[in-house]
Amino acid sequence: MALVPLRYNLRSLWVRSSSTLLTVCAIGATVAVLAGMLSLQQGFVTLFAERGRTDIAVFLRKGATSEGESGLTREQCAILTKEVAEVQKGDGDRPLASAELFLAVRRKKADGGETNVSLRGVEPLTFAIHGDDVGIVEGRNFQPGSDELILGEGLRARFPDLRVGETMQINVVPFKIVGIFAAKGGYRSEVWGDLDRLGEALQRPVRSRVIARVPEGTDLAAIQTRFADDLRVQPKVLTEAEYLTSQTQRLSLTFGILGGFLAFIMGIAAVFTGTNAMLAAISSRTHEIGILKALGFRPFAIFLAFQFEALLLGLLGGVLGCLAVLPLQGVETGTMNQTFSEVTFAFRTTPAVMLNAVAFAAVLGLIGGAGPARRAAKMMPTTALRRG
Amino acid sequence: MSQNSIELRGVTRIYRRGGQDLRVLDELDLTMAGSTFYALMGPSGSGKTTLLNLVGGLDRADAGEVLVGGEDLTGLSDTELARWRADHVGFVFQGFNLLPVLTARENVELPLLLLPLGRRQRREQAERALEMVDLGDRMDHKPRELSGGQEQRVAIARAIATDPEVILADEPTGDLDRDTADAVLLLLQRLNRELGKTILMVTHDPQAAGYADRVIHLDKGKLGRIDDNRATAGRS
Repeated sequence: MALVPLRYNLRSLWVRSSSTLLTVCAIGATVAVLAGMLSLQQGFVTLFAERGRTDIAVFLRKGATSEGESGLTREQCAILTKEVAEVQKGDGDRPLASAELFLAVRRKKADGGETNVSLRGVEPLTFAIHGDDVGIVEGRNFQPGSDELILGEGLRARFPDLRVGETMQINVVPFKIVGIFAAKGGYRSEVWGDLDRLGEALQRPVRSRVIARVPEGTDLAAIQTRFADDLRVQPKVLTEAEYLTSQTQRLSLTFGILGGFLAFIMGIAAVFTGTNAMLAAISSRTHEIGILKALGFRPFAIFLAFQFEALLLGLLGGVLGCLAVLPLQGVETGTMNQTFSEVTFAFRTTPAVMLNAVAFAAVLGLIGGAGPARRAAKMMPTTALRRG
Repeated sequence: MSQNSIELRGVTRIYRRGGQDLRVLDELDLTMAGSTFYALMGPSGSGKTTLLNLVGGLDRADAGEVLVGGEDLTGLSDTELARWRADHVGFVFQGFNLLPVLTARENVELPLLLLPLGRRQRREQAERALEMVDLGDRMDHKPRELSGGQEQRVAIARAIATDPEVILADEPTGDLDRDTADAVLLLLQRLNRELGKTILMVTHDPQAAGYADRVIHLDKGKLGRIDDNRATAGRS
């Protein structure tokens, strides 16, 4: 089947540049909203996903869904750090396992208002377990047993009062900030200090979780089963990757639903704009449709020609929308995670996000153009020629 | 029947407007010989353009048969009609009907896209058609850069580019001044005499009809008289 030459459509779009630009902008705005939400979602998911390791086991209280809900006594922690045979050994043949205390406290933000900041009490072995993933970038690490803290670098911009050399009051105990640490994922939005000192300052006798280095592929379910009948402790055991993924699911889904909802509502408006633009195009070119049909171009070729124009409008809108979102690439923002503490993460407009956004725009264009293109295809040549 | 003759047998075409049936062509019988230049005249509403559209496969008769080159158009589907138009007919309209965003050459190439031709062949054929109408130096001009007469010549080049047996012209000189109109009519006459095209031209203008071999008069959807200009002395 002979097709109407593409240059006819391209030049027609160019000739109607005002109408083309308006339609492209309307679709572009819709795509920008969707791409923005997808970039946020991507940033949030990546934040946790990139940190999640499969050679670190996380032990929580049975039934707990997050470390905020979890609670293990010192004795239970001692059992888990010493009696799990799968845990790898470090220097001095000590198991690479450590207990942690996690709690969120209220702090003022740079832009006003208050939010929760995650405090994590850790043991010296915590650093050995994380290896190179956690490192001091400014100042020094805290001394074990001291009232000292180190800050995740993600908190610097959002909490101007938290700086090296400053003091952070936790309940009635002043802690000195001695360093800044870099880490992947959510840890970079946390404040770390000595487990026992923070436990005392926070008056929390229980620990939140135990983490341990295990060989890749260790059967953690088997460990959980082994402890199932142990009256001393019945932990929930999962890899760090699984744990972090479970923590992001709800918010990630929220971003997805919110983005999808906004894109749907705005998409309807964009489809109407596209339809309107194509109807106007067809109305002003009815005579030309008549000529093409009189010459012998088939109805389906006419349909394809106008759908091509609609598709092009959609694609241009998609590119415009992505360009509008690109300046946000890397811009950091924050939100509450499932443990109700502040996490900072950046917009990540990945190629996949852009591809999805452009595909969405193309679909908008095609839906908007389908009706008018069908109408053009069905026109009788004599009727179309008479309307010129 | 010759390859480019036209025959209408009992053709009726009814338009339904405002709830009323309007019989535009009424059981019309007409035979037109091939390689002949016909002018179709008659008052407004006599069915001239309707007849032209039926012969060109742009419209369908409500009753009767339309045969062009021996092929009965009434039995063809829309798609088959489109294909038939591309292969057998060239159209020239009053308003020139060129696509404004395409150059003269691209306009002439349009019907050639419907034939199994390579790009170079298409281009050469379009250029040949434009040279035939003396527009070899205007090939890359868009319609708005051409005069009315030149636009109509481009339209004629488009009509002959595919080498159709039949050329249908609907008031081709309606928008042109006398001198330009004469040039266009002479061109149509040349296409008939030199290339043997059957030409059916709708016109209101007796002077334009004077260029045709025969003049068919329609009145209220029925055939009136047929004048033979070749028998008339002083014919140009």
